[in-house]
Amino acid sequence: MNNHVSTLVPSALSRPYRYVKLDWNADYSMLTVRMAVRPIQCYSLAAMSELQQVFNDIGGNPGLVRHFVMASDVEGVFNFGGDLSLFVLLVRARDLDSLRLYARRCIDLVWWWENAAHLGVHTTALMQGDTLGGGLESALLHHTVICERSAQAGFPEVLFNLFPGMGGWNLCIRRGGYMVANDAILSGQVFTADQLFRRGLVDILVEDGQAQAALEQMVRAMEPRFRGTMAALQARRIAAPITHESLLTIVDHWAVTAMSLTTRDMRLMERLARAQVRKVGGASGGAIEAIKRMELDTAWGFEKTGFSEWSTLT
Amino acid sequence: MSNFFIDLVSHTDEARREFETSSKVLDIVANGLSLERYRGLLLELYHVVWHFNPTCAAAASRIGDEHRHVRYFLYDHMNEEKGHEEWVLNDLEVMGVSGDRARAYQPTLTVLGLNGYNYWSADRRHPCSVLGMIYALEVVASVYGGQMTAAISDSLMLQGDRGISFISSHATMDAEHMADLRVLLNQIDDEAAKDAVIESTTFNFHQFGRVLESI
Repeated sequence: MNNHVSTLVPSALSRPYRYVKLDWNADYSMLTVRMAVRPIQCYSLAAMSELQQVFNDIGGNPGLVRHFVMASDVEGVFNFGGDLSLFVLLVRARDLDSLRLYARRCIDLVWWWENAAHLGVHTTALMQGDTLGGGLESALLHHTVICERSAQAGFPEVLFNLFPGMGGWNLCIRRGGYMVANDAILSGQVFTADQLFRRGLVDILVEDGQAQAALEQMVRAMEPRFRGTMAALQARRIAAPITHESLLTIVDHWAVTAMSLTTRDMRLMERLARAQVRKVGGASGGAIEAIKRMELDTAWGFEKTGFSEWSTLT
Repeated sequence: MSNFFIDLVSHTDEARREFETSSKVLDIVANGLSLERYRGLLLELYHVVWHFNPTCAAAASRIGDEHRHVRYFLYDHMNEEKGHEEWVLNDLEVMGVSGDRARAYQPTLTVLGLNGYNYWSADRRHPCSVLGMIYALEVVASVYGGQMTAAISDSLMLQGDRGISFISSHATMDAEHMADLRVLLNQIDDEAAKDAVIESTTFNFHQFGRVLESI
């Protein structure tokens, strides 16, 4: 399988997508979806619509896809999560209904992932770069998360008085327990791949450039026990359930909370958006570095130095 | 009451993101502007702002009584925006460009196209199309204005609002306008008006992106 050359995507799945790239491995009925929202890799409305279409096509053709793999086509970034500019737009317009609509579209995707085992689809995320907020939530949704050594991830939302609302709590608790979930969500900290692995948030840790090989090894090893694995994963959902109702209740709470963001909160969000842009430009100070600076500001800033970047934000 | 605002945001999201992700816009947000390019931006902006109220007035004069709430909104909006071209001129003065030079400046074809479309659309397409111009420009100001202001201020080492009063103040002010605009847009239930607003928004995002690319 290492020498596998991707073949044509089955016609039932093939559509003229703009923000997702599909790769098909007929040997293992494996569909790889590479998100390609350039230059800022995030869950824009259009990208989410395309992803939903991919999910609909998989669901509409039972048995066609056995392995679903989520990867990034943008170097150095798995996914930055929500479309921050859209959030700012809707919050400034005080448009709770539209924010709820966006959030519920996210939950539609979350719910497909959550039910993938019942469709006979095993899901894997290849985290090969920076992963933030909703991007991390989407990674944690997969049955298996393969993470490369240089990847970093976190939930920065609390730094601007928000929280991850699209399944972050449910998924962190399921994977790592309450302590890990509390730490990951309430600290706003960015974790290294090693820290993510030790907390049980990712399943397989590999060196840079090895994620694809690890995926192929895993799929090959799973093949003879695929049906048992899928049955076990269905049972896992019963043992550690995440209900649609809890996802919707949390996401509604998230939308209401977002409406109370202050100008200062939104400027911090804009600062993060600006840092994402810098990352695109290849500068050293990307979004992860910006979050670390925000964390440092909180921990050390005003008390230690008498100056905080935050103090300039009104 | 309709939910047109949601539809407008959804239908024009691609155009907004294309504006946001244009390489020149990304570069301005990340690295700011040189003095010469910032002067160029303000000179172009002056001619956009100068035609803003006349475009709104042209639209208001053509809006039928069935859309009287739009007309009243435009009256208030024009009153609020009145004189803001002077803020651009003040910033230009700080940057070493006189008011006379700004007024005599020949804007690029891109700006002429932007202004031309907005007049034409208000006159020939549908007068409510002017709301698309307002929405697009307020999104640019309130969503991206703050980031651009910070970047330009950093790159030119400006102190406070000196030299950036127009874009800085609109970044904050237009955030308040956005909420009012949403309420108004949700009162529009006429399909022709909605189509015109969507087209105008798409065009204004596109063309304003070209304006930033041209400087």
